[in-house]
Amino acid sequence: MKVLLIEDNVELASSISAFLAREGYICEVSYNIRDAQDKLISFPYDCVLLDIMLPDGNGLEILRFMRQERMQSSILILSAKNSLDDKIIGLEEGADDYLTKPFHMPELNARLRAIYRRKTLGGSNIIAFNEITLNIDTFEAWVNGMLLDMTRKEFDLLMYFMVNKNRVLSRQSIAAHLWGDYTDNLNNFDFVYQHVKNIRKKISSANGTDYIGTVYGLGYKFNTSRQ
Amino acid sequence: MKIVDRFTLWFLGVTMLIIPINSIITYQSIKGEIDRAAVERLKHVNIRAAEQLGRGEAVGEFMQGCRIKAAPSDSTMPADFFLISDRNVKHDPNMEDYDRKITVASWHMINGTSYKIISGDYVTRSEQILTGLRTSILWKLAILIGLIVLTARLASRLVLAPFYNTLKKLQHFNLRSRTKLDFKPTRTKEFNELNKFVGKMTDKAVDDYISLKEFSENASHELQTPLAIIRSKLELMSEYNIEGEQAILISDMQNAVDRLTKINKSLVLLARLENNEFECRELLDFSRYARETVNTFCDLVTIKGLTMDYRIEEKVEVKLHTALVDILLNNLIGNAIRHNYAGGHISVELTSRRLVIANTGLEPQGPPEEMFQRFRKGAKCQSSVGIGLSIVKQICDMNNFTIEYRFKTGHHIISIDFPATFTSSKLLQNDARSLHEKTQL
Repeated sequence: MKVLLIEDNVELASSISAFLAREGYICEVSYNIRDAQDKLISFPYDCVLLDIMLPDGNGLEILRFMRQERMQSSILILSAKNSLDDKIIGLEEGADDYLTKPFHMPELNARLRAIYRRKTLGGSNIIAFNEITLNIDTFEAWVNGMLLDMTRKEFDLLMYFMVNKNRVLSRQSIAAHLWGDYTDNLNNFDFVYQHVKNIRKKISSANGTDYIGTVYGLGYKFNTSRQ
Repeated sequence: MKIVDRFTLWFLGVTMLIIPINSIITYQSIKGEIDRAAVERLKHVNIRAAEQLGRGEAVGEFMQGCRIKAAPSDSTMPADFFLISDRNVKHDPNMEDYDRKITVASWHMINGTSYKIISGDYVTRSEQILTGLRTSILWKLAILIGLIVLTARLASRLVLAPFYNTLKKLQHFNLRSRTKLDFKPTRTKEFNELNKFVGKMTDKAVDDYISLKEFSENASHELQTPLAIIRSKLELMSEYNIEGEQAILISDMQNAVDRLTKINKSLVLLARLENNEFECRELLDFSRYARETVNTFCDLVTIKGLTMDYRIEEKVEVKLHTALVDILLNNLIGNAIRHNYAGGHISVELTSRRLVIANTGLEPQGPPEEMFQRFRKGAKCQSSVGIGLSIVKQICDMNNFTIEYRFKTGHHIISIDFPATFTSSKLLQNDARSLHEKTQL
């Protein structure tokens, strides 16, 4: 999957591109609108990560530019302006999703995957790894052909793990993924712990491999090398 | 009371006071003038009679239309002495009115004999003058009042037009449109001063508003990017083989960044709420959101060993921005879970008029009214930022909801009353503002 990252902050851009490279994306970076437009005209991209505040203008210009040129790439807006107006305008102008800075990298990865699935893979609704299969439309999880009895949050969490295989997922990142930005009062890692524990128990009870492990001090990891 | 009515009343009051005083003065001066003229005439008649006597001619009963009597007198008086008297007499018993008669007596030495000459004449009585005056005064009053009442509104509309204009502009003044007020110059000094003052004040408010808004936007933007950098670097770092102690260090940093992010986001949200940026004119199905939120939190309730019951009425429609309804419900139900103990209970009740969320919990330490202040939190909860309830309060205030907290028989109870009518008058004057918002979106 080829991604164009349009982000003026060099530090952040290098973090994002390093993370995406590890995930196997081919990531190119533009630091301003002009450069981005040049790249967009010259090469096809599956997805564009777009910052709104750019040194030579508003990132929304690129949205309009891409629509004018009838480009098919998916667009994910990354904005520091936590502004509702921008979000609505962005989505109306054809962006696929909107993520507010500061975001967690695994969250960005999950959103990117979701967009990619929706647009490029013809809306495939199955995520599978070895014996585990998830149907993201019906929120059903199977292990070894056995349907697991999962709550919606547990399903979301398992999917988050499976999209971010072999990544350390911090408890903060999991909490933000499950309960959103403004759940200040739920920043309670007991809940994360309980959810993870439940998932592991349910997978094990269906004779699945316990892929999810604890990373000391840091969080959890879906470990594909586990047997 | 309208300003024109006040002025009219004041003016009428002054008129009422002046007219009686004025009529007394008029009455006195007319009466004095009549008397003086009559006396002068009679004096003249007396002198003429004395001259006639001096020439040896007899004096008749009437002279120049005045009754006159001349007779020798024992007493003598100086030549320029006149005795003036007046009295009411009634000659004809058929007539009801008395007549007022003025008599002037004088003494003259004629050919060595002292004569007393008395002349008299009838003059208009004071009551008659008064009657005439009364009619004229009543007419004067009637015309005056009539004209004032008729013309005051017209005059005020003309004279006070700039004032009403300023008032209207102020009513429609809206900080968020960022347009400065522009007043037409008037010929009235006070209104010009008022306009100048109001203009200065609103200009300042607009400037302050813009700089405040820019500051909060910039602050949020400038903080979010470094936060994003720190967070992303920490996440990249945790992908390496991290040893025990280092992992704890990273984890602590991640916690701090997370907290900072939440504080920043919440403060920005509060500022935006205060800026009225989430004004809403459409009703949303509150029941649906309440049900969704309750479902979302079901897991957590079970994990924490709590029980929750809820009674959500169908089709409760409330005027609230969609971005705020989740924040409101998440914060309230999240709080109910957080400030609870194992085995505790939560109840959520939604009716068309109010939302009540009650949960078991420890007694609050501070006074209940401080509950909604920023960064105020129970001592037991170190991990929360302590801004959730003040966001809830702000959302309620902006949408004319009444929020109330009380602690009763071991339960924290928060109730939110929705306004009875959704066509609130406050929104009427905000038409321009919401229009503006629509064009912005």
